[in-house]
Amino acid sequence: MEPISIAMIADFFHPDVGGVESHIYMLSANLIRMGHKVIVITHSRPPDRVGIRWLLPGLKVYYIPFVTIASGATLPNFFTFLPYLRTILIREHVHLIHAHASLSSLGHEGILHAHLMGVRTVFTDHSLFGFEDAASILTNKLLAGTLRNVDAVICVSHTGRENTVLRGELFEQSEDDPPRLVVSSNVYVIPNALVSKRFQPGLLQKSDTITIVVLSRLAYRKGIDLLVATAPRICAAFPNIRFLVGGDGPKLIDLLQMREKYLLQDRIELLGPIKHNDARSVLIKGSIFMNTSLTESFGIAILEAACAGLYVVSTRVGGVPEILPEDMISFADPNEDDVFRAVSEAISFVSAGKHDPIKAHERVKRFYDWAQVTERTERVYHTVMKSEQRDLWDRITRTMRLGRYAGPIYSIILLVDCLFFLFLEWWMPREDMDFVTHHWNHRRFASATQGL
Amino acid sequence: MSTKIPPWEKVLWKNQPHPDNYIPEGALESSLRKNSNFKPYTYWHLVHLSIAITQHLATIFIFLSVFVRLKDRSLDPRVLIFVSLGCFSVGYFVWEVLQYTQSSGGGSKHGSKRNERVKTLKSSILIFLALMSLSPVLRTLSAATSSDSIWALSACLFLLNILLADYGSSNSVAQVRPERLTSVLSMNAAISSSVVLASRLSNDLAVFALIQFSVQSFTLFPMLRRRLQVPMQALLTFALSISSLILAAPLSSTIAFLFLLVLLAITFLAPAVLVWAQKYKNEIRGPWDVAVPKVN
Repeated sequence: MEPISIAMIADFFHPDVGGVESHIYMLSANLIRMGHKVIVITHSRPPDRVGIRWLLPGLKVYYIPFVTIASGATLPNFFTFLPYLRTILIREHVHLIHAHASLSSLGHEGILHAHLMGVRTVFTDHSLFGFEDAASILTNKLLAGTLRNVDAVICVSHTGRENTVLRGELFEQSEDDPPRLVVSSNVYVIPNALVSKRFQPGLLQKSDTITIVVLSRLAYRKGIDLLVATAPRICAAFPNIRFLVGGDGPKLIDLLQMREKYLLQDRIELLGPIKHNDARSVLIKGSIFMNTSLTESFGIAILEAACAGLYVVSTRVGGVPEILPEDMISFADPNEDDVFRAVSEAISFVSAGKHDPIKAHERVKRFYDWAQVTERTERVYHTVMKSEQRDLWDRITRTMRLGRYAGPIYSIILLVDCLFFLFLEWWMPREDMDFVTHHWNHRRFASATQGL
Repeated sequence: MSTKIPPWEKVLWKNQPHPDNYIPEGALESSLRKNSNFKPYTYWHLVHLSIAITQHLATIFIFLSVFVRLKDRSLDPRVLIFVSLGCFSVGYFVWEVLQYTQSSGGGSKHGSKRNERVKTLKSSILIFLALMSLSPVLRTLSAATSSDSIWALSACLFLLNILLADYGSSNSVAQVRPERLTSVLSMNAAISSSVVLASRLSNDLAVFALIQFSVQSFTLFPMLRRRLQVPMQALLTFALSISSLILAAPLSSTIAFLFLLVLLAITFLAPAVLVWAQKYKNEIRGPWDVAVPKVN
């Protein structure tokens, strides 16, 4: 498809480290490699990460001054982003906005404003949410309001798609009896990917001890309670097992206490916080990766471990059953006995030498490749660009159907947004803006730097 | 030559020929389970549970009527003191009977029971004397505040008491339930309210009578109420409601009518609304829920 200008909008971007951030960066880098122009819009991290920065390979990042409230997320706004967004989108001649993460209010706002400038919208959801607690009910309603008029939604797993469809009300009730749920045709599933070159398996070492690696944030959500309950049992049942635990968090205390209580200081090693660059060097020290998280939308940590040649043991939650074939992963229900059973199975499998790290690496390399994911994403962009944009009346009628109270509220927001936009068109006219002329040719850059 | 398209599988690692936005029919419905933990409410069960709230409200109404009479000096404080003492003795007797019948056939040691009785007696005398000595102080505590603020403050505090009170019941034997913060807060609110109201009274004896009555009704009486068996509960509710109405009626028939309305609404109307609202229950469970880890 012909090159277009894409703006990635998310609250979560570098210098913060995380799954969403690296996903946005890798996707942007690969899109640039395919010839498109990509910019990223995110909020600033004062005092020093402000303004406009360039990241390799030719990725322009706008750091907008917005105040964050908690863990990198800004307050839900509806109008304050419009002046910045309008200026940026017009200057950079953007064709399509790709917003990431349901908790990112910048992304939601971007989707709300984009239609005023004729820019298309795509939304990617990375996480799973519940329906019951007060925070979920509110964020789901906000999400439903935003996704009412988005052009395409991408989810990272099939479970994630079901969750997003139900939360954002992306379905219609069919006419027959009993009414079935017909999902809209613009919801796609494109998994995450990883750079397999960074997770090569280590050299094979013949030794009797089998090391189980656990690498995660030590929080309740990651199921550290299960780890604390099963580790002593495993150490008692299998004398040749060692544990290697990396990461930090509030549950570190529980692990330390368990280690003291069962006197396992020589069997369980706690490494503390591990940087993402060092993850591979920790992973190749082991042959089994254990993941006990209680909810996981995709599980990129599991993939990284499998790519580095480890056999995986994980709880059967969220999107985890979809990511690896049965012979590379053992599943367990989230209770102590079943986790013990699964780990024992894994240990006997690995001790018998039935798991080949090199072959596992090759397989994961083929399954989850950034080039493939980018190509699938490009197809979504292409479909979106070809389709017709909904006109304002259509948008208003769709928004009014949100609910008895939410519908009128969101419609009012939409109309005031249009008025605000008209005001900005008068106050900061387009003719007076500095347009960006962007002559970045990735192939020329590659040949210039490598072809010497 | 036709190539058969393999059926769609819910996996991400396979390169499937289906497009990315393909979702087979019924895939969404099969993942989610609606209202799986749903146990519908039945009307009479809810009425039975709301008796606790009615009793509490009736107690508050009785207290308010007593206060108004004390203020008008139509009730002699000494009569109130004797009535409270009588109620205290009756209540303590009932408590002892319940303790005896509900415990495992009187199995606990005689010595410890004696100790408990002595401790109870000591603490009641202590509180009695403490209140008696504090009542002059309490009378002038909020004397400077205007009456309107007092009524408003008292109303807010009683509202807080009603909202935060512990309406559960303890069916099992002599079990000491851990006090939640909210039930302690509600008791404090009730006592503060009665202290605040007491400042409107004219002599120390009246203040003492009121505070003693309030301490009894809001701290000791709820404990007794919780221990009572089921048929007694209904009888007690009835007795309390009727007495609150009888006490309020001579003072102002509008207020008595309002009391009646509130009591009926809480007991009969509110459960009906709750049962009606059940049809909106929409609990969705699916593979995206956070699992609850089960450790032995």
